[in-house]
Amino acid sequence: MATPSLRGRLARLGNPRKPILKPSKPLILADRVGERRRERGEATCITEMSVMMACWKRNEFRDEACRKEIQDFFDCSSKAEAARKMRSVQGEYGNLPPKKVNMLLQRFPNKPHIS
Amino acid sequence: MAAPVMKTVRGWSDLALGVRSAVLRLPGLSQVRWSRYSPEYRDPQIDKEYYRKPLAEQTEEQKFELELRKTQLIKAAPATKTGSVFEDPLISKFTNMMMKGGNKVLARSLMTKEAWGVLVHWIPWQTLEAVKRKQFEKYHAASPEERAAIERNPYTIFHQALKNCEPVIGLVPILKGGHFYQVPVPLSDRRRRFMAMKWMITECREKKPRRMLMPEKLSQELLEAFHNQGPVIRRKHDMHKMAEANRALAHYRWW
Repeated sequence: MATPSLRGRLARLGNPRKPILKPSKPLILADRVGERRRERGEATCITEMSVMMACWKRNEFRDEACRKEIQDFFDCSSKAEAARKMRSVQGEYGNLPPKKVNMLLQRFPNKPHIS
Repeated sequence: MAAPVMKTVRGWSDLALGVRSAVLRLPGLSQVRWSRYSPEYRDPQIDKEYYRKPLAEQTEEQKFELELRKTQLIKAAPATKTGSVFEDPLISKFTNMMMKGGNKVLARSLMTKEAWGVLVHWIPWQTLEAVKRKQFEKYHAASPEERAAIERNPYTIFHQALKNCEPVIGLVPILKGGHFYQVPVPLSDRRRRFMAMKWMITECREKKPRRMLMPEKLSQELLEAFHNQGPVIRRKHDMHKMAEANRALAHYRWW
């Protein structure tokens, strides 16, 4: 969708009509973009954890008796950790993540003047 | 050929090449943790086997890496990391955690046998030596059938004891609805090793009888942990029990 037009919207000397927009700050692009809303993640490895705890309850919290469940829990947590790292490294699908965009904009800021 | 190059690099380090200039970061903010090495410096490769591998056995990327290392700048290796057969990274980490006020000489002498290069008589036993002596006494006192079951290598005892002390699951305080709840959460390998070592050291420091020296107390605790008994193992079980009691709160996690 194209940017809505700004013709005749502000209160200026040459504009005969009433102003449509009354902006509190000057309409100039800032050198940062807003952050992405963080997705609500859910807890991982709950099933493995509950299986391990059931085993603990049966065997009085001895680790030797529950080796297999503990190993499964460790595998699940390392897989979840790796998946989380991949997701944070990959970032957005098409666009850059907002942090990188802000870094670039800080280095190459918007010029409000004509030099 | 390499030595004069290194000298000139160090000579240049004030000017441009090595030093991380303050202008890179935001002006007005001073870095608290910084290093004299700039980002292009690589970490040193301590492992001798890496360099002894014959050329035929290496893959393409390993050959490329070897060639690359000839041209890159490399940081100096720290004094504690050696390529010797006696070095153990876990023992070094434990010694560093035991160290107080930077007194590495004392911490290392308490842990291993090397004490100022001289046989020190007033420190009765160092930890690993104490462990070994106790196990040998047990060995000589035991009957031939039991002798096979007694472990005498202090390094294996140390590793096994710390592995037995590692918690499987940890608790993290999470703020929800104005209250902090202890939520069970999986821990990384690093964190588990750290907690085991920290518990061991705190236990030995706080519950020590007044005239007992640290190596003796540590050797006691290590042997007990090796047999899955003792206060550190009990602390691990308490942690597990709390996690089990709070298992309903696991859904408060978001990772």
